[in-house]
Amino acid sequence: MSTLAIAKRDFLDVRRAKLVWAPVALYTAFMLLFFWGQSTSSEPNFYAVMWSLLGLGGALVVPLIALVAAYLSIAGERESGRIKFTLGAPVDRSSVILGKLLARGGVVLVGLVVSFVIGTAAAQVLVPQMSFEYGDYAVFIAVTLLYALAYVSVAVAISAAAATRSRAMAGGIGFFFLFNIVWNFLPVSPTQMLEFLLNELGRDPANYENLLELVFSISPTGAYLNSTKLFMSDQFLEMVETANSAGDPFYIQGWFMLVILAAWVVVPLALGYWRFGNAQLG
Amino acid sequence: MRYHIIQYIKTYDRLGSLSKQMTAIQTDGLTKQYGSGDGAILALDDLNLTVEDGEVFGFLGPNGAGKSTTINILLDFIDPTAGRAEVLGHDVRTESKAIRARTGVLPEGAEVFERLTAREHIEWMADTKSVSTDPDRLLETVGIADAADRKAGGFSKGMQQRLALGMALVGDPDLLLLDEPSSGLDPTGMREMRELIREQAESGTTVFFSSHILSEVEAVCDRVAILNAGELMIEDTIENLRDSNGGATSIELDVTSVPSDLGLQSVDGVRDVAVSDGTVRAVCSTPTAKVDVVKYVDGRTTVTDIIAEDTSLEELFQRYTGHNPRTESHEETAAEAPEATV
Repeated sequence: MSTLAIAKRDFLDVRRAKLVWAPVALYTAFMLLFFWGQSTSSEPNFYAVMWSLLGLGGALVVPLIALVAAYLSIAGERESGRIKFTLGAPVDRSSVILGKLLARGGVVLVGLVVSFVIGTAAAQVLVPQMSFEYGDYAVFIAVTLLYALAYVSVAVAISAAAATRSRAMAGGIGFFFLFNIVWNFLPVSPTQMLEFLLNELGRDPANYENLLELVFSISPTGAYLNSTKLFMSDQFLEMVETANSAGDPFYIQGWFMLVILAAWVVVPLALGYWRFGNAQLG
Repeated sequence: MRYHIIQYIKTYDRLGSLSKQMTAIQTDGLTKQYGSGDGAILALDDLNLTVEDGEVFGFLGPNGAGKSTTINILLDFIDPTAGRAEVLGHDVRTESKAIRARTGVLPEGAEVFERLTAREHIEWMADTKSVSTDPDRLLETVGIADAADRKAGGFSKGMQQRLALGMALVGDPDLLLLDEPSSGLDPTGMREMRELIREQAESGTTVFFSSHILSEVEAVCDRVAILNAGELMIEDTIENLRDSNGGATSIELDVTSVPSDLGLQSVDGVRDVAVSDGTVRAVCSTPTAKVDVVKYVDGRTTVTDIIAEDTSLEELFQRYTGHNPRTESHEETAAEAPEATV
């Protein structure tokens, strides 16, 4: 009950913040750009558009949308003292965290869905000759929404654990840098370090391909990027050389990426509550 | 037989009034320490406080005395280092939600939600308390009915404070916890705030409010507690405080110059002297001593104006807290006195 009261008020509040919508507009702009890019091709490929959206959205825009929408959700209230209005009401601290997740998650999901609707409609005009794979598209959108929710959960958790705006911002940027840029894109990633370690120990990393793949997928971005098997055509995946073989262990299969993303929704919230539940709000 | 029934009714009645005489707030050895070791700050030191149901209780003290710390503990915003507290019969740490369901809170200096309208603030509070409310009537009560559908981001500090009070009044709470309710209000707003507090008290609501302004507390409270540097100095009714202080009065004289060797302390009945540039202020234990003060000072310098008033509580407040809301303290002005003659 009090969770919904918090969620309702916060949704009302944050949807009026213009800054929250700016990254959504950016995502829409890129979507239009990718569709337009296919229109110049003689053989427009729908999967190429999803592939570009997956890469750019996963690495940059979706985390940006979620972090901007949620990093101040609780820390902002603490710094301004508004938290004393919120908790002066008969509301549990856990309800504050869950309510914020619902509200900020709701805003992000609405933003992304609007973005997809605009993009899809525009595509009919930009590339009428391209054939949409609506089944795969729906799965892709669903996975993207789950990925966004994982990032919102991380941002709400960081915000719950931080006492000030600046710490929440530092935490958000730090998470993005560590669990996205470093983990999945830089040559100092855990995967590469593990490879180095295996080499040092005289083992052939090629024998540990599955383990390395799992390590890559532990971050939300890694899980999102490796969820391609759920919605990309085999033909396209072979073309970009990421095709999977049928004998893969369960922990690097597409469905397990959803489990990892779901864990990224639940675990940060639990940690955030552990911190916020005992926080001194003086 | 008839006698027994009457006895029974009387007993029942007494039990009824007993249950009404419940304690609204009770603290027991409440202590809050920030940090540890040499750098530790004792914000609250063994506070024992009792606020009865239905009374208006003023929690008085200079800034930093520990008033907000106490309120923060009562609302479970912070944990006490030692001791315990009960509000409306519930433990503050284990049953906080039950307390907040029956309490209206006006937090100190808190900003309202700038992107929500006044009406949305009230509706939200009603939502959390699961009560139905009439936002327009409530906003009318606190004097911002015409701003009901404006976003609170554009509100002045005074309007925000009124809105916050409106939120505290949602659901007709049994207890109002008001932290510095008059901050940001103009004199009219302060007067209206006092009237509202009185109205609430008349309807049976217990009001606990903190303030560093003596006159405000004096005007509306049944009982007061004076807090200084985390310690409870005194807890009593306004009348008792006035009486216990022996009806001290003070007199203020405007003079052309202050002789460096005034020696006003030697006059019989003078309890305290404060000297600042061009004014001499004396607290006297008897009204007649004031006349002696005027004669004494007039013999040594030229008096241009005389202001006499009953300031018993003010002196009391000063004695317990070392803060005088009107003049600077005696020691400070004594040090400055030589400069004044240069």
